[in-house]
Amino acid sequence: MIPLFRHHTKASSQPRRLTLKILRYNPAELNAAPSFQAFEIDEADGMTLFIALNEIRATQDPSLQFDFVCRAGICGSCAMLVDGRPALACRTLTRDLSAQITLAPLPFFELIGDLSVNTGKWMRGTSERLQTWIHAVEPVSADILETPMAPELAEAIYELDRCIECGCCIAACGTAQMRPDFVGAVGLNKIARFRLDPRDQRSDDDFYELIGDDSGVFGCMSLLGCHDVCPKQLSLQTQIAFLRRKMARLGLN
Amino acid sequence: MSHSIDYTANPPMGPSVIPDAPALPTNNPISLPRKSRWPARLDLLQSLSGLLLALFLIAHMAFVSTILISQAAFYNVARFFEGAWLLGRPYPMLVSLVASAILALLMLHAWLAMRKFPAGFRQYRAFIAHKNRLHHGDTSLWWLQLWTGFLLFFLASIHLYDMLSQPELIGPYASADRVWSGGMWPLYLLLLFSVELHGGIGLYRLLVKWGLFGDKTRARLHLARHAFSAFFITLGLLTLLAYIDLGRSHAAQAGERYIPKAAAQTATH
Amino acid sequence: MQIIHSDVLIIGGGLAGLRAGLAARKRGQEVIILSLVPPKRSHSAAAQGGMQASLGNSARGRGDNEDVHFEDTVRGSDWGNDQLVARMFAHTAPKAVRELAAWGVPWNRVQAGDHTAIIDGQPVTINEATAAHGLITARDFGGTKKWRTCYVSDGTGHAMLYAVSDQSIAAGIPVHERMEAVSLIHDGTRCHGAIVRNLMTGKLIAYVARATCIATGGFGRIYQSTTNAVINEGIGAAIALDTGVVPLANMEAVQFHPTAIFPAGILVTEGCRGDGGLLRDVDGHRFMPDYEPEKKELASRDVVSRRMEAHIKSGKGVRNRFGEHLWLDITLLGEQHINGKLREVKEICQHFLGIDPAHQWIPVRPAQHYSMGGIRTRPDGAAYGLDGLFSCGEAACWDLHGFNRLGGNSVAETVVSGMIVGEAMAEFCNSSAGELNVSTALIRDCWHRAADEFTTIAQSSGPENASHLMHEMQQTMSQKVGIVRHGPVLQSAVDTLKSLILRSRKIGLRRSQPGANPELVLAWRIRKMLKLALCVAEGALQRTESRGAHFREDYPQRNDAEWLKRTLAYWPDPQQTQPTLSYETLDVLTMELPPGWRGYGARDAIEHPDTGRRQAEVDVLRQQFASADRSTRQAALLDFSQQLPCHLRGDNERLGDAT
Repeated sequence: MIPLFRHHTKASSQPRRLTLKILRYNPAELNAAPSFQAFEIDEADGMTLFIALNEIRATQDPSLQFDFVCRAGICGSCAMLVDGRPALACRTLTRDLSAQITLAPLPFFELIGDLSVNTGKWMRGTSERLQTWIHAVEPVSADILETPMAPELAEAIYELDRCIECGCCIAACGTAQMRPDFVGAVGLNKIARFRLDPRDQRSDDDFYELIGDDSGVFGCMSLLGCHDVCPKQLSLQTQIAFLRRKMARLGLN
Repeated sequence: MSHSIDYTANPPMGPSVIPDAPALPTNNPISLPRKSRWPARLDLLQSLSGLLLALFLIAHMAFVSTILISQAAFYNVARFFEGAWLLGRPYPMLVSLVASAILALLMLHAWLAMRKFPAGFRQYRAFIAHKNRLHHGDTSLWWLQLWTGFLLFFLASIHLYDMLSQPELIGPYASADRVWSGGMWPLYLLLLFSVELHGGIGLYRLLVKWGLFGDKTRARLHLARHAFSAFFITLGLLTLLAYIDLGRSHAAQAGERYIPKAAAQTATH
Repeated sequence: MQIIHSDVLIIGGGLAGLRAGLAARKRGQEVIILSLVPPKRSHSAAAQGGMQASLGNSARGRGDNEDVHFEDTVRGSDWGNDQLVARMFAHTAPKAVRELAAWGVPWNRVQAGDHTAIIDGQPVTINEATAAHGLITARDFGGTKKWRTCYVSDGTGHAMLYAVSDQSIAAGIPVHERMEAVSLIHDGTRCHGAIVRNLMTGKLIAYVARATCIATGGFGRIYQSTTNAVINEGIGAAIALDTGVVPLANMEAVQFHPTAIFPAGILVTEGCRGDGGLLRDVDGHRFMPDYEPEKKELASRDVVSRRMEAHIKSGKGVRNRFGEHLWLDITLLGEQHINGKLREVKEICQHFLGIDPAHQWIPVRPAQHYSMGGIRTRPDGAAYGLDGLFSCGEAACWDLHGFNRLGGNSVAETVVSGMIVGEAMAEFCNSSAGELNVSTALIRDCWHRAADEFTTIAQSSGPENASHLMHEMQQTMSQKVGIVRHGPVLQSAVDTLKSLILRSRKIGLRRSQPGANPELVLAWRIRKMLKLALCVAEGALQRTESRGAHFREDYPQRNDAEWLKRTLAYWPDPQQTQPTLSYETLDVLTMELPPGWRGYGARDAIEHPDTGRRQAEVDVLRQQFASADRSTRQAALLDFSQQLPCHLRGDNERLGDAT
């Protein structure tokens, strides 16, 4: 009667032996060249790449660099290429992968070392470039009742606000690989988010100034790598298309 | 407390006003000259030219495949486009005009699309590495689209120039002779595959790009894309085969023009 | 030696640090924020369920105000907090929510008309007023009389952090990312900034500032089972402790969250229970009403966690291959509610457990969640012991939470304390005390001391392994200084930790490498973390009573007569292997709400001799001011408004106020 658990297959007597091929590179070392290094570990129940990598660092190579913060898929720190595809390592279960796992740092971003990349720096730059904050003209008092907002609108804004700036969309974007000045899905989604927000008083003309060129929305070739890898399942395809229509309309004036 | 805070020095109490964010000194939209609207127009034009080319492609396939119905059917279609039904007699010039327009459209489309091509070897290599790493359908499709587009630039231009320069040579025999005796069939074969793949992918991407359907429909759009390419490639192959067949049997009289039966009868009288 | 100057140096780029930085920046101070990680990756982002503020917009929040919020907070703290601070907080929280709303946080809003909520396992129809339509709504959380927790689905912290971080970007505040403050620059009386290690290059830099603020969050990682992020190692508190003159207060007050998924320890929000979720045992029986007939699942966290552990001990736990746990059942909330208001929970269940919480129960067990203790500060955020040092957020013991924090009060504390402490820092910088008189010799000394610390470790070939020590510490803390504590067990924990401290001085590195060197970082941090662990364990051992989250099996009663005081832990000599404790008395005679029963949990406190007297005083005052308005009456009991910056003193408007 109790709607309980999944039926686990009986734990086989022998855990899988996993081989993690990790791209190693420490820019601080002179004459270092990137190369893959293989580590072997025994798989454990419910093992995530977070657990696996920490085990490797604790028991095999204390110099291994990687980034984890929340280890719950919330903070966006641990995006890396898992078998070539951008993913959040903390919530990638090894049981969903083959016994041979290839890990590499996200491309595009500045490499700090091994699997650690400087997404933070790029994201801050993007925020500054796209001015991703509420632009209000009138000061608001915090002592009085807040301005009402339709509940559905608040929910729709949150839908777009869920981006965790992990960088997966940029790493999966063909345009960004070729043209480093492309704002990418993360940037366009932010514009869509602020455009939707009535508290932001910028007009489409203002947004056009930020994304109305080939490094902005018109640079997108709709390859949809972003949409397909987004760990938060944001509707990036819809948002970018929507922005493209709004911005293109200005071209008709 | 050596440094307790004394708020009494503050100005008299006012309502708590939320500090508004100062705009950054640079990049302030108001202080900069307005950004050009041309990127928007060019983006629209790229899609629009692609759409028109795709529509033309569909229509074109419909016309040429009338050979599968009968030689007469194709003959009539060809004469129809020469304006005989309106102007009393056929003007092949009209075909030249249409071909020129399509060629211009093609060049426009190619020029616009080329902006998205990898510029330089670094970009080229970056994209290849990305594509090979990601194993992502839509990304790989773009690569196919890029190469078919690149081919079309030449193949379609040749074909269009042919039509433009010799508009009168469209008809069951003339076309079949061009395909077989003129040795054009390998070009047409390649053109067929390139154009149908490119068109199919292009139409799909057009829908996705402008968000004409929600993001839940992608699988169905892909299915439609496959169906599109498969249908037109099949139709094209059959048509091409028909011309090859006709061209081979007509090889001995290559150069002779097709005269419809009715007209032939009139002539013998 | 590179030296970077600013007016205000903020260590920690989470909500508290960012908000404090904004407040100081707005007052014209040059601010630099240091952060271990990009600020939007801070652990603030993981606050799911919401932020308490007495807006009173929703039907179930109607009648809420600062007084109710204040009382809930004090009861939640088991009278261990500073009531002055609780007042400042309850008063400022509504402003903070409204400010965040103006900054773009998409708070969930009231939908006028009928809606169904699950309350106590039953669907109940609630009618929301038309006038409230579109105002910020609230959900129920544990230990509160009203529905007061404002929320953004279950990504509240994320939405808040992004809004505040974006504001700091707009204000042009530089955030130096991947920087770790490794010691404070001070001369024993005045703090002048910090020595900071660049985690990408390993380089040490001196940051000199007129005011320095530690906002580095909690130290949950000294425990094995914790909901905290891996960066929550308490280094900010540890470097304050290292000064020898700054005390850490109430370190034994550690909160365990009832619903961490088992065994990963990842949090699922209190909102699950607030929205109607139930706790069940191995038989599928809802057991909380047996223990807490009034608040049931929504008693305060310390109480629920303790009841859960007791229930597991009574043999009602569910056993799986990792150990024992209980069930959190939110299936009754329905798919639509879960997809809308609990979607992070849903994602976490999908990814880490492979279950759908709309149809399956979630395995949970309490895990370390929050540190009520931290750097002891005054109500304006100034740390004890060093001028020019401030602290706010979880890193501080501002003492809003006492011995137990209410859910939704910490994310609220981050921004509220940031608003207040940032302002105080600006005032400090503008005052004569804020002038910077620091000699380069002092900076150089501090820099060299820090550099030596790293060099010594890097060159040591000692036999000890830092990850082993870390593991032993975490295990000791989880097993022996957990939810239920016992004298002899605590003693053995202290002994173990002391031996670990000695061993940590003999750590050798297996690799030497230029640059970041994570092994060196770990070896350096474990020595700091062990000190924190000892402050917790020793504080817990000495506190022979049970209060809030600190529960002693051998002293199960709250003992106001002897223990209505705050533990202060100092570490004056680096060679010590345990902290020096002293105590700071909480004055019953100044309390607005004298100690009593919390309304849930045990009801057997040993009364403080002054309680009766103060209660009588309070009763008289209440009578005297019976006809006065609420804020006058309140000010007669505990006047707090002078403690607030002028612009935060105004009354909070509410729906239905006569204006």
